[in-house]
Amino acid sequence: MAAGPKDGTEEEGGEFADFMADISQEIALRVESLDPEAKAKRKEKKATPSSSDAGVILEWENIADRMIEEMR
Amino acid sequence: MSVVNYGTREITCKIVYYGPGRSGKTTNLQHVYSQLPEERKGKMVSLATETDRTLFFDFLPLDLGTISGFATRFQLYTVPGQVYYAATRRLVLQGVDGVVFVADSQSRQLAENIESLQDLHANLADEGLDPRTLPLVMQYNKRDLPTTEISSVEDLDETLNFRGVPFFAANAINGGGVFETLRSIASIVLWRLSAPALKGS
Repeated sequence: MAAGPKDGTEEEGGEFADFMADISQEIALRVESLDPEAKAKRKEKKATPSSSDAGVILEWENIADRMIEEMR
Repeated sequence: MSVVNYGTREITCKIVYYGPGRSGKTTNLQHVYSQLPEERKGKMVSLATETDRTLFFDFLPLDLGTISGFATRFQLYTVPGQVYYAATRRLVLQGVDGVVFVADSQSRQLAENIESLQDLHANLADEGLDPRTLPLVMQYNKRDLPTTEISSVEDLDETLNFRGVPFFAANAINGGGVFETLRSIASIVLWRLSAPALKGS
């Protein structure tokens, strides 16, 4: 995050408004990544099988029944 | 110290202006205060001696109102620059989220700048904060003085800014560079707040 030197006096009164506009934008960008609900939703999405999960058994409940069925 | 409270939907950040005595820390806060619209003007608490030196510290609560559904507050503090107020500086640094180091551009003040920067690092370490990663921006103040009396921004930056953090030339007494500096540290602090969440996603 490099920044060059800045100098000079800005127009009186507008400085705070400009600051507010920038900070509002910054917070709007950050809030979603901070929000635990949004984070939980992202984790939920991640739980669905992806290509790297292929072949991994996700439904353990009926696994024994299925194995017996296949052995018959 | 920084608080992002989803229950009460509040964001609170503490920013400390650090630097040697008479470098312009209080002047920075006074300029910010002067630019606040009337409805946002709270109390700026400033305890100064008869000669206008900061005795304890300055405190400016900056209530930015509701942004993206969050009541957002920045708490701006200064420390007393004089060497003998070390205990107060440590106290003010407790729970800090970001530091603005206000350096005095006068060539004869270079040693004081270096001493204050070393003092900042020692005090942050005492508080269990990592001086290498805490959000920091540098401000080279008093650029309005005659060029014969001040060091160049490049020289100051080479001497003081070994972390390569953002830096700003300023003449705080006229307001130059004050909001640019504040905007930069606020942005870094907000980025830092969200960084762990981004890493975890």
